[in-house]
Order: sequence, then C-alpha cells, then structure tokens
Amino acid sequence: MAKSQSQLIFSVSDFIAVVNQTLDYAYPFVEIEGEVASFKINQGKFVFFDIKDKSGSINCFMTVWQMRVPIEDGMKVVVSANPKLTQWGKFSLTVKSIRPSGEGALKKSFELLKAKLDSEGLFAVERKRRLPITPARIAVISSIQAAGYADFIKIINDRWGGVKVDVAHTQVQGADAPDQIIRAINYFNQQEIIPEVLVIIRGGGSADDLSAFNDELLVRAIASSRIPTLVGVGHENDESLADLVADIRASTPSNAAQIIVPDKTEIIRAVKYQVSSLLPRILQAINQKEQALELILNGAMNKVVDSINNKLSDVKNLKNILSQLNPSTILARGYAMLRGEIKLGSMIEIETIKYIMKAEVNDVTKK
Amino acid sequence: MLQKSKTIQDKMAELTKTVDWFDSDDFSIELAIDKFKEAESLAVDIEKDLLSLKNEINIVKQKFDSEK
Repeated sequence: MAKSQSQLIFSVSDFIAVVNQTLDYAYPFVEIEGEVASFKINQGKFVFFDIKDKSGSINCFMTVWQMRVPIEDGMKVVVSANPKLTQWGKFSLTVKSIRPSGEGALKKSFELLKAKLDSEGLFAVERKRRLPITPARIAVISSIQAAGYADFIKIINDRWGGVKVDVAHTQVQGADAPDQIIRAINYFNQQEIIPEVLVIIRGGGSADDLSAFNDELLVRAIASSRIPTLVGVGHENDESLADLVADIRASTPSNAAQIIVPDKTEIIRAVKYQVSSLLPRILQAINQKEQALELILNGAMNKVVDSINNKLSDVKNLKNILSQLNPSTILARGYAMLRGEIKLGSMIEIETIKYIMKAEVNDVTKK
Repeated sequence: MLQKSKTIQDKMAELTKTVDWFDSDDFSIELAIDKFKEAESLAVDIEKDLLSLKNEINIVKQKFDSEK
C-alpha cells in the first residue's frame, strides 16, 4: 500500500521535479503584467530581469532572440512564460515572449526600435522600390475576417479587373501575429514565380492591437522581401514600423487598394477624352489646309487679274494712239484733207470738219 | 495559328501610339479619319474589357499558424 502524501519523503531534486510538474500542470502557460526592473543581458545571449508590481517581484529569464521588441527598466510589459523552480530553489519565469503593455511602454518600445532600425538604414528612401502601375498578380497578407480586408477587396474589385490576388490568412493582432505574417511573407517570397506586389493590411485598432506591426523580426522580414511591399495598417494617424519599412506606405487598407490598382472609371474617362480630342485636331488640320489653299488660289487669281489689267491697259493705249490717228480728229483740229491729182488745171476735193469743197489747181510750186 | 488576344495594357499602348501619330510628322489628313476610327474602336474595346474583367481572389491553402 502506498504511503499517503504527508508521509512521502522526497529527495531535493525529486521535490523540485514534482513542483515543476505541478506548476507545469497548473500553469502550462501564464501571462503576467508588471514593470521591468534590473534588466540585463549576459554574454549577448541570456536576458535576466525582474517583473514587479507594488508588492511583489519575480525573476525572469529568456534568450535574446526571443525578444521581439526593445525592453528597458521601468517599462510596463506582459510576459508569456512558464513558471519554474530552479535547481537552486529559486522561483523564476522562463519567458517565451514579452511585449510592452500600456500606451507609454508601447510608445517607448516603438521609439527605441525605430531609432535602432533607422540607424541601420532600413527606412532609407534609397531602399524604396516602385510598384507596377497595373499589377497582374498580387499577394495579400491579412486576416480574411477583418473589416480592413473586406474594404480592400471591395475597392480593388470596384477599381480594376483581371488581377490574380493570392491571400494568406493570418492573425493580424496578438502575440502570434508577427510570426504568422513572417511565415506568409516567406511563403510568397519562396514561390517560383513571385507576385508583383506584396500587400500587408490591417484595419484600425488600439495601440496594443497594432503593436504586432512593430515587431522587430516582422519589420526585418518586410525589409528583406524580394517582392516590393505595400503596407496599410490602422487609420490615417497610426504609424507602425512595418509602414516605415515598406516600399510604399498606405494610410489604411482602403488607401492600399487605391494605390495598388488604377481606377477603371478614370481610365475610361481619360481614354474617351483622348479620342474626343482628336476630332478638333483633324478639324484644325483641315482649316490649316483650307487657309493654305485659299492663299494659293488668291495668289493665282491676283496674277490673272493683273494680267487682264495689263492687257486692258495696252488696249487702252492702242485705242488712244488710234484715236490720234483718226482723220476726223485731225480735221477737228482745223486741218483739211485734199484729194485729187496735183497738177495745173486739175480739179481737187478739199474736206474740212464741216465742208467738202471742189477747187481747181492754179499753181504748183515745189518746196 | 491563333493570334494571342491583346491585353488592356496592349490596347492602351496601341491607343497612345495612335493618338501620338496625330502630333507627329507622319500626320496626314488623308489618313486621319482612318486613324481616328481606329482610336475610337480601341477606346470602345478598352472600356468593354475594363467593365467585364473580374479579379480572381484565391485564399491560399497553406496555414501560417505554426512552422511546417
């Protein structure tokens, strides 16, 4: 028969093992909120700190690569951890993840990481790539249950067509969100034929909801994406590190849809305008030709008129000459015309403007 | 051989080329009406294509909640 628990005698190691089994059974996973104190990193690998409140304090341990956001003393955090009794009898939390809690801590952590990544040049303008104007294939990472995703899909369907949209459904808030989004980024980047654009979207939310997009590994994954990235997280005024590192930043998921595809209504209007603007150009060309033709015709007409006028002038001159040679004109000036043979005794006829007379030649003398 | 159907981008590029012809040295009144009809027909095609084309939304089957 087994001894009752009160009668059991454990070795120290066994007792520690039993306590740890009990803790593991009772609290396989616990989230604790508190303030960080005595934060230090040993050998660049091991992180030690205390998490405390007004009346209590617990030792915490984790590895550097589990830290997804910068932490410092005084910061309010939530740790996800396994409680554990160490072999030296000290109670501690083996931390799986840590995230800032509360607006002040989130802001502080955001600023620390922003400064760190900025110093590495991750937000530099020179790194930004352009997006294609009309992509034929895009990849979207979002929660398909989110309102922001629904807005995005509605707007791209309203604006454009013929696009193949591959959607990776992930969490977009909470502790698991960054890793899920990173896996989705890797999934699209590892495809044989990669999409033309990678869109990461999430609608508005509290600073805590959006904090997944300030995760260091996620920001680095976006920065190293082979596919140009477009990130639209939160509302107009929200700024995440994922936004800053993206090739193109959209203010909201709806804005991301407006950026990624053109508006077919505007294109149709522009195309119609282009075509309608051709008719005035044709009419203008016809008018120019008409004017040129008119100039040529006027020139020709002027030459013909000039030629006729010259001929008329010649005729007039000739007419004047002929008029001067007309005998009646000479008689009118007082002269007389004489007809007949010039010899003594012959009869001659003398004509003046008014009379015709006959006379006999009485004398002929040579001049 | 079947001719590959033109995409909207192809048609828009063709329309731009046709419109540019009106400002080029190649412009002639004799060809202008034919070119205009060509542009008009392209515009109708582009509008028809834009209004009829639908996007293809595909939710990928891969799960991202844990490492494979």
